[in-house]
Amino acid sequence: MFVPSVTNPIGDFVRNLVPQVTAYLPVAFQSETLDSVVAFLINAVICIIAVCAVNIGSAPILIYMERKVCAHVQCRLGPMRLGWHGTIQTIADVLKMLFKEVYAPSGADKLMFYTAPMIVLIAPFMVCALIPFSKDLVVADVSMGIPLIIAVNGFGVLGILLGGWSSNNKYSLLGALRSGAQIISYEISFAMILLFVVMISGSTNLMDITMSQQGTVFDWWIFKIPVLGFIAFILFFISSTAEMNRAPFDIAEAEQELTGGYHTEYNGTPFAMFYLAEYIALVTNSALATTCFLGGFHAPCIGIAAVDNVLNMVPGLVWFFGKVFFMIWCYMMVRWTFVRPRVDQLMDFEWKFLLPVNLVLLTAGAAWIAISG
Amino acid sequence: MFPGLQLPELALSFPLGGMDIAFYAVAIVMLVTAVFTVAVKNILQSAVFLIFSFVTTAILYLLLHAEFIALAQVMVYIGGVVIFVVFTILLTSHLGEDAFATKIPRVFAAFALSIAFVFVMVKCLLPMPELSSGVVASAPDYSSLQNFAMRLLGYTQDSFIIPFEVVSVLLLMTLICAITIARKTKDEVEKEKEVKQ
Repeated sequence: MFVPSVTNPIGDFVRNLVPQVTAYLPVAFQSETLDSVVAFLINAVICIIAVCAVNIGSAPILIYMERKVCAHVQCRLGPMRLGWHGTIQTIADVLKMLFKEVYAPSGADKLMFYTAPMIVLIAPFMVCALIPFSKDLVVADVSMGIPLIIAVNGFGVLGILLGGWSSNNKYSLLGALRSGAQIISYEISFAMILLFVVMISGSTNLMDITMSQQGTVFDWWIFKIPVLGFIAFILFFISSTAEMNRAPFDIAEAEQELTGGYHTEYNGTPFAMFYLAEYIALVTNSALATTCFLGGFHAPCIGIAAVDNVLNMVPGLVWFFGKVFFMIWCYMMVRWTFVRPRVDQLMDFEWKFLLPVNLVLLTAGAAWIAISG
Repeated sequence: MFPGLQLPELALSFPLGGMDIAFYAVAIVMLVTAVFTVAVKNILQSAVFLIFSFVTTAILYLLLHAEFIALAQVMVYIGGVVIFVVFTILLTSHLGEDAFATKIPRVFAAFALSIAFVFVMVKCLLPMPELSSGVVASAPDYSSLQNFAMRLLGYTQDSFIIPFEVVSVLLLMTLICAITIARKTKDEVEKEKEVKQ
């Protein structure tokens, strides 16, 4: 009997452990099929818990970080009262949000209204499962990682469009349409940058992409290809910022114009889900940038053996999260530094500047591969 | 403890084990969502059920180890086609708010047609010997991205580089056509300027 299996080192460990435990059970319960089914179920639960822990656990930390970064950019202190330097403030806010009453506006399409936040959460959770956090820590080591990421990203637009429409509110609908147009446009350059990475690394598997950057800092894709790598990294940064609907590209929710955009009518838990999706997308996009350009979980070695030995003693997980939080910090600084472009400027920027540059970049990357061999 | 207890023999009903169970589960969800797509009164809800139907189709492809087709299904149909359908529904106000009534003769005709279709399919498909035995015939990495791409973009006897390039020319043509239609003529631009002034 065929039973699907989770193929990663932790999965192998559980598969080895289960027969040893079931050996103590009565003979009637001992069979290879049962063992493999139990091992698969345990592995699946471990995977789900791991993804949820990373995603949901990182959200309060990021909200706290965003408040502090924002405050310091604007010469304020940010939350200071609750806990040491306001560390418990986010938890209090999350609790407040969860205990709010959940209600839909009259005339709203109830089914769509409550489905939309769940659809929005699909994409970030699935992308998170593909990211290699360390050499042995990846939930789904699939061969088609990058195409899967590009495919799954479409769900985000869908959730936003449905949420905006079902709210039965003009501002929500306007926000949803703006954001849908924006995400669909920037998805193209987002996908093209990922294709550039696939082209130069020769694989669509995220683990292979990470392993192709082994060595010193200068083997990371941002530096390995002179100039082109850095341009690609900047373009990825811009298009992913627009993908996430973050400022300066937050046309969709522009508080001053649209009173909050597609989630104007949401409150309580459904609103928390939209908010959560935004912050998980921040983590996954930073992780993607880290994996594709900044060497993933590899230590930033500089080619001097004595220093590299010390750097390599730090586990890959720490390096990975260090780089991810550096990327998140960059996204936050950009958010609180730049002004928001107008909606037509935003579209012009994508279709008349970013897309042609991406096409040229792809061609230049192909030329570089052909020349360097 | 349970001396007579034996695990039920699953081999008869589910020869492929987990795969079979997954197939039946996915197939049921697919059928239900497909029926809801045509049965629901609200046109936006029917678009959403269409999406779920497409997702389950993609899962079905995954169960057949055709990963790239599954992803292409999600990319093209959900990320492209359905999003644009939803866009058009959102931009046309009041579309599908009143449930359109169907008359009984039409319902009867639809039933008759679908029953005839099922009859023909069963009559033609069931006797085929290749279908009744569920043997996996292809090599394990037959549909991997690498082999797939080499086949699609190679220039040997059995590869498809020329059709691929011809299709890309066709797509370029449609893009240019779309821009020509959407683009404003000189008169329109001048008129807009006058209005602004």
